[in-house]
Amino acid sequence: MPAPANSSIYDQVVRVTHVYLGPAADRFIARQVENHLHKSPDELSQADLLSLIDWIKVVVSLLTEDNELVEEYTNELQKLAGDHAKSKRA
Amino acid sequence: MAIKRQTAQLTAQALRRGCGLALVYAALIFLLPASQATIRAYGLSPLEYRVILFIVGLPSIVAWLAAFIGYAKLREYVSLVRKTPEGPYLDKLATGCAWLAWSLPVTIIISLLISTLGDHQASFYSASIIINNYLGLLWPLVAFSIIGAASRGLVAQAKLKFSLASIRVIMLLFLAAGISYCYLTFQRFDLSSLSSTQNPYFLPIWLMVLSVIIPYLYAWFIGLLAAYEITLFSQRTDGILYRQALRLLVLGLVVIIASSIALQYMNGIQPRIGRLMFGYHLVLASIFRLVGGGGFILLAIGATRLKKIEEI
Repeated sequence: MPAPANSSIYDQVVRVTHVYLGPAADRFIARQVENHLHKSPDELSQADLLSLIDWIKVVVSLLTEDNELVEEYTNELQKLAGDHAKSKRA
Repeated sequence: MAIKRQTAQLTAQALRRGCGLALVYAALIFLLPASQATIRAYGLSPLEYRVILFIVGLPSIVAWLAAFIGYAKLREYVSLVRKTPEGPYLDKLATGCAWLAWSLPVTIIISLLISTLGDHQASFYSASIIINNYLGLLWPLVAFSIIGAASRGLVAQAKLKFSLASIRVIMLLFLAAGISYCYLTFQRFDLSSLSSTQNPYFLPIWLMVLSVIIPYLYAWFIGLLAAYEITLFSQRTDGILYRQALRLLVLGLVVIIASSIALQYMNGIQPRIGRLMFGYHLVLASIFRLVGGGGFILLAIGATRLKKIEEI
């Protein structure tokens, strides 16, 4: 599902995560941002994205042994980070 | 961290309770007077009778320990998601599972006490059979009603609709179970006299229909419907990883409901006689109890995975 142009980075990350973690997605991302980046979810910026993706990859690997699924999920997040980097350059 | 410790304590506490009840059951087997009727029927010594009764009770003990772990794990998960939109319904689901889990030791222990009393007080024999029959009905009835309300809430909250084909399958299953149950039960009654209590249930047929058969049929219908609704909810929920864990939990719940219905069905058509009776009934009852215990283990694994998603 494409993210609306005006939604925050946090919302877009949650939207991607929803495909994998369903109703737990919002709580999951909020926890990762607070625990690992030591920020509140609404303070999440584009500069934090790569670091957040690294943390998510580690954490999701603890939830499943399906490496392909973890790759697919983190690739989706990487794409999101790439899109943001491009739009910032433009 | 404090929440994590608190939730982990729930399982330890439930397991302690389950083990405590197992000790009470074992103590009662060895302390209560041996059943003279069983001893006479199989030519056993009192010690042989007690050892056999304990061995026969082992599958039940295993099943109720699994059940206590299962409902406690579900409670642990629910304590983390209580404030979410599904939280109140999952909380109800955990309560229904707790009723089912507690029904295993409570009915077995009370049944042992009442049967012993009925064995030694001839005037109490018929009352002991009646009480045991109602006890076997009451707990699952309450549990299925709570689980049914929870599954209804989950389906309504997710705005899911039933398919006509599924409803037909549920109705067919329910009708097959209900009609065969009524047929097999009525065979044990003198249908020429509605008020006669000369039957293995010690109840007149009209009272049996009103207070046993109809509540059983109601409980089974609610149970089957709940199993379907919860399955539907797990299939339509978003999230690949979330759904995998939820499916395990739901599979466990469906196995628990199915084994509980099978056990109630068998106890309904095979009237209690107030003493230990070897035969296919005992073997099947043990198998259904163990299958139910397996269902609770699946429930525990599913709940643990869901809990991990909420904690990590």
